[in-house]
Amino acid sequence: MSAANLADTQTSRPAASAVPVGPGRVPWQREAIGIVVGFALLALLPLIFTDSYSRHVLIMVFIYAIVASNWDLSLGYGGIFNFGHIALFGIGVYAYSLLTKLAGLDPWVAMAASGAVAVVAAVAITIPILRLKGIYIILVTFGFAQLVMQIILSQSDYTGGTQGIVRIPSLYIFDHNMVRDGKFAYFYIALALLAASTVFLRAFVRSRTGIGIVALRDNEEYAVSRGISLVRQRLITLAASAFFTGVAGAFYAAYQRNASVEVFSMSLGTIILSMVLLGGTSTIYGAIIASFVLTVFSEAMADFGAWRPIITAVLILVVMLAYPGGIVGMLKSAMAVFSRRTSARKS
Amino acid sequence: MNTAADILFGGLFQGSLYAMMAVGLALVWTTIGVFNFSHGVFMMLGAYLAWQGIAWGFPAYVAFPLAVALMAGVGWLLQATVVRPLIGRANLVLVVVITTLAAGSLIENGALVVWGPRSKQVPPLLEGNITLGGIGVSLHQIAIIVITPIILAALWFFLNRTRLGLALRAVAQNEDASRLVGLNVTMLYALAFGIAAALAALAGIFLGGYRFMTPVMGADPLLKALIVVVFGGISSISGPIFAAYVIGFFEAICSYYFGLYWTPALLFAALILTLMVKPEGLFTRSGGRLA
Repeated sequence: MSAANLADTQTSRPAASAVPVGPGRVPWQREAIGIVVGFALLALLPLIFTDSYSRHVLIMVFIYAIVASNWDLSLGYGGIFNFGHIALFGIGVYAYSLLTKLAGLDPWVAMAASGAVAVVAAVAITIPILRLKGIYIILVTFGFAQLVMQIILSQSDYTGGTQGIVRIPSLYIFDHNMVRDGKFAYFYIALALLAASTVFLRAFVRSRTGIGIVALRDNEEYAVSRGISLVRQRLITLAASAFFTGVAGAFYAAYQRNASVEVFSMSLGTIILSMVLLGGTSTIYGAIIASFVLTVFSEAMADFGAWRPIITAVLILVVMLAYPGGIVGMLKSAMAVFSRRTSARKS
Repeated sequence: MNTAADILFGGLFQGSLYAMMAVGLALVWTTIGVFNFSHGVFMMLGAYLAWQGIAWGFPAYVAFPLAVALMAGVGWLLQATVVRPLIGRANLVLVVVITTLAAGSLIENGALVVWGPRSKQVPPLLEGNITLGGIGVSLHQIAIIVITPIILAALWFFLNRTRLGLALRAVAQNEDASRLVGLNVTMLYALAFGIAAALAALAGIFLGGYRFMTPVMGADPLLKALIVVVFGGISSISGPIFAAYVIGFFEAICSYYFGLYWTPALLFAALILTLMVKPEGLFTRSGGRLA
């Protein structure tokens, strides 16, 4: 019996288990195996790409992938147009920098704390948008991101203002030299973070809470009338999407060893948002694949100068216009064509 | 006396600029129901086209209207390529945000390739300075203060007193019903985008006349226009216009008493507060309508 048939029989039957099984839903065991195999393959990538530059590119891919896939949780699954997501990343960057440099906190503790700070910030963004819908949420959260940036710029005694912060303490593993190992340690830390984030996100969206937020997105009135609390779910969704985003920011600060308000810029926001949309929303994996595609694509065009953002923009436009479902939608339709062909051959 | 004159003049000037930046954004939002994130880039391109016209030896009174007219065409083109094909998609607002952002990035970097990163300036609308109420002001700024209300009044007249304008407002209120009574919705969408882009070009020329222009000059005005539109309420055209002047004065007062550094933060704090208390915007009556 094929996977598609299995999913069909499961949907036609009323769900008896704690978590209802939706259309196209893969059993969790199968998905867990997929995640393990996928990340094992990623862990082997340094065997193929042996220079430290490609490891650097992959580290950036992993950081973007964490930020983009967490954004997919609030934007795709939650349907909450949180344009302050990139600010949560920036808050992680600055929280880590200030906690390690000014408060002298241990880098690993500071990294976890940065995630917590981002969660608190996410709750602070959520409170004003609890009553709002659609475009208003875009505007308030956009405003929030700008507000955070302005505050960081104006508190230049602590944050360095436009100069940013330099010589941020890096992470450490016992006496291992993180700087001279060809970025191996950072590669595996970034990969571990992405793996943790992905497992967390997938478990979240498969849980009852995750199904509840999708219900709210698809039919708010009905979901509310069935007893799902809009306020609570929104707070949970945004808080959940913030933790690993903040940690990714902290990791970025530790890796780059400097911080600037560039992390709040519209251009970074545009890139990450296009990863979410290009990958296909409400998939988590789509955002990760798109981070990989866009980053590698952009690195491959490093010699094109000003043409690079132009080509990237055209690519985004073409995919958005031709494939509303993004890369994952593209793969799905390709697979549908393929399976139709193979089943036609069988019959 | 000087303080009052400073605040009054600063408020009027900034308010006029903001109104000019925001009105096109509000027009597109009210008719098509999307936010055009390339609006700031339109301002930049309008200013650069005007500069190019001047560089080719056209006098300002030819180059400026030409740039505005060309930008109307660009607005139409953008609408036809990255907005119109998406109408009817489930997550239209979001997808248009990304396509207009991408198109904006395309135009911005295109301008960088064509004109280079060096900053430029278009000639002011009027040369010279005068002293008014004890403060020195440039005639360019006076011209902006005078011209903006005229343009806005003309737009109001167009939307309220002409057949075409009424058709545009009808589309804003109910697209299906407009189609049923025989309005050409596709053409009206294009018209809204064209007018918006032309207004953005004018705002860009205003900006380029007193500030140096760079290919990235549109980012900040876009942000300001967004704030203005949110403050004023996004269901009307007149709301954002009032809001533009309110914000102009708010900034003039804030930067006088709290300094330039804190003004943007205060503005955003006021914005978030406004939305918490009155999400439909300051100047919206219930059942908001266009103009």
